[in-house]
Amino acid sequence: MTGRSPSGRALGRRDALALGGAAAAVAAIPTARADTHLTVWTGYPEIQPMYQAVAAEYAKSHPGVTFDFFSTTLREFEQKLSAAVPTGTGPDVYDIGTNISVNFIDNSLLDPNPPEIDAYMKSGPWDKFTVDFFTTDGKTYGLPFLEGSRASMYWNKTYFKEAGLSGPPATFPELIEDAKKLVKFDSQGRMTRSGISLRLSGQGSGIGEKFRYILEAAGGSAIERTPSGKWHNGYDNQAGRDALTFYVDAVQTWHIDDPKVLHDADAFATGATAMLFRESWVIGEIQSKNPNLDYGVAPIPAWKAGMPRMMMLQPEGVYVSGQSSNKAVAWDFVKFLTNPENGLRLTEMTGWLSPRQDIDWKPLLAKTPQFKTFVSPPADIKYYVEPVLTAWDEIETRLADRLTAAYVDPSLKGNPKNIAAAIHSMAQQTDQVLKDANLYGT
Amino acid sequence: MSVSTLDRPLPRPLPQGEGRRKIRRHLRLWLWCYAMLLPVLAIYAFVRIWPIARTVMLSFYNWRLIARVRPFVGLANYERMFSDANFQIAIWNTTVYSLSIVLISTIIALPLAVVLARRGRMSAVYQTIYFLPVITPLVPMCIAWKWIYDYNYGILNYILSLVGIPPIAWLTDAHMALWALVIMGVWKVLGFNLVIFLVGIRNIPASYLEAASLDGANELQKFWRVTLPLLRPILLYVLVTATINAYNVFTQVYVMTLGSQDAPGQAVRVLVYDIYQNAFQYFRMGYASAEAVALTFIVLGLTLIQFRAFREREAG
Repeated sequence: MTGRSPSGRALGRRDALALGGAAAAVAAIPTARADTHLTVWTGYPEIQPMYQAVAAEYAKSHPGVTFDFFSTTLREFEQKLSAAVPTGTGPDVYDIGTNISVNFIDNSLLDPNPPEIDAYMKSGPWDKFTVDFFTTDGKTYGLPFLEGSRASMYWNKTYFKEAGLSGPPATFPELIEDAKKLVKFDSQGRMTRSGISLRLSGQGSGIGEKFRYILEAAGGSAIERTPSGKWHNGYDNQAGRDALTFYVDAVQTWHIDDPKVLHDADAFATGATAMLFRESWVIGEIQSKNPNLDYGVAPIPAWKAGMPRMMMLQPEGVYVSGQSSNKAVAWDFVKFLTNPENGLRLTEMTGWLSPRQDIDWKPLLAKTPQFKTFVSPPADIKYYVEPVLTAWDEIETRLADRLTAAYVDPSLKGNPKNIAAAIHSMAQQTDQVLKDANLYGT
Repeated sequence: MSVSTLDRPLPRPLPQGEGRRKIRRHLRLWLWCYAMLLPVLAIYAFVRIWPIARTVMLSFYNWRLIARVRPFVGLANYERMFSDANFQIAIWNTTVYSLSIVLISTIIALPLAVVLARRGRMSAVYQTIYFLPVITPLVPMCIAWKWIYDYNYGILNYILSLVGIPPIAWLTDAHMALWALVIMGVWKVLGFNLVIFLVGIRNIPASYLEAASLDGANELQKFWRVTLPLLRPILLYVLVTATINAYNVFTQVYVMTLGSQDAPGQAVRVLVYDIYQNAFQYFRMGYASAEAVALTFIVLGLTLIQFRAFREREAG
């Protein structure tokens, strides 16, 4: 029977060749899978461990897929990605803000989502606002990955108690009075603890972004859309003047903050300030740097009683490059990355929020109740968004350049005329950037 | 007795075939040499000449990094520079920074070099100490300097407090931030200038200084009348290289304005930083290229002025 098949038919040369071919084809499948290598870039180094954990999980069910990760600070990442994508040297998968992705979309460097991803995106995991945010000319691009803002107010419970304050301020006048009680000076009159840590120095659009927390609360906006679909500045008005006056007075009149003292998340985590407006990731910072800190998180106060409390929304997406040679696998990974389990994992591991609306936050809130304001903001909150414009980063950065000088300019102290002139000059600059980008209109 | 040109015998003409052979031999040698040099020249042209030419070209276009249409705009980018407040601030800050660095580092390095040229027992140790900042990587040093300058915990304010000087907000005070960069810049280049001066001083023949001593010149007179005039080419070299380097300052500014506790960006805006921001943050490559061309001409102009000033002095 040797050399015969069970059916009794002899194994001919053709059969042997066919079998060999089939065996080679079968062998080729795992080889191809093993060759599937995805490069993933992120502008959030703190998120890289989460990416790696998700990739390890994904690789268990997809053993042929390997990953390569790269992360650097957000601004450097934006520059690197913007240089890499047009030259075809970018990654397969990247997360980025819409300020950059809009450039890629405008210049056909990013493909619209494949039909199945488009259908998945619209099937309910994300609310309509978020889906619309990732929609350009009726087509969706990328999947929502993290909420980059929902900035709220961190307040140090211990300091508030010491100062005889029962809870966080609800309005800006209350905030100013509270901050005056919370600020501390040494015997030589030097500030040792700020009442509130505002963003006063350094460089970059972040300064402009933090100014907007106050500006929007006061009823203004950085830019406004006109009925023609074009834009112009939205702060050469009373709200803009009020917002700048608040900063100038905070530093020069009320002395509740000072550029010389420690600032930002480090200041709050180490107890060098009593209040801070920031995003949810600061919770992660506090957990790693000072887990015993007794603090609460509340919405940024209303400008005055009767005005709404405002919250910035800044959804950021994860995209598959239009030039990727592994698009199918890349989309599959992106879908896996943004599923509810990994949405929760993102928040637990990094403090950044997932914008999904179907995540059960109860286990997280039981462990870290400070997340409550971020994951389920009070119903009365009014939202404003990061404009999706090619020139947005330049508008915010150029505004920031002027603001840092204005905050400490003594000629602006108690001088509404100079405040108005400074705001007008900044607003003209904003309009000029819009004009340069052919986006200006009245 | 002199022989006029006409009296000289004319060179014997080479036989026709021999002359051609010689020319051909020379031609072959030249071709061989240039052929051998060609790869190096090609690489040099590609990495040095082409980017410069391309930068000049881009400066005439509205060339955005991510854009499909990049129209030719002629001199519009150059015109824009005259009305761009950021560019003007950058020019002013860079000039103040560069002049300060060049003058202060030269004024300190020159007498130091004279002292260290005496080959004392500790001379080599001091040279090493002064030269260390030159070879130290800039980014970690900038971070270290950020701590030195820290208002609350910085060692500089601590030292000043020992002599009763109140703390200074070196980085966050808009009026001090540029000077903080100047101090760091001087610290960085001092050792380099010093070593160059030292080499120059040690190459001055001892007999000149001995002759001056015999004529009764004191140390100061020897420095002014002998050392300094003979050091003029070295001084020119130091001034030119220090000016070029100072005008290209970037890393310090970038690192020292990164965080919320750092210098306000506008107070220390320098040209290369402005170029970088326009190119890689706003993606205005055309405009950034125009700024880069302007920077090149500024530095070239200053270098020519320095050369001319020194040549006139020599001629005088």
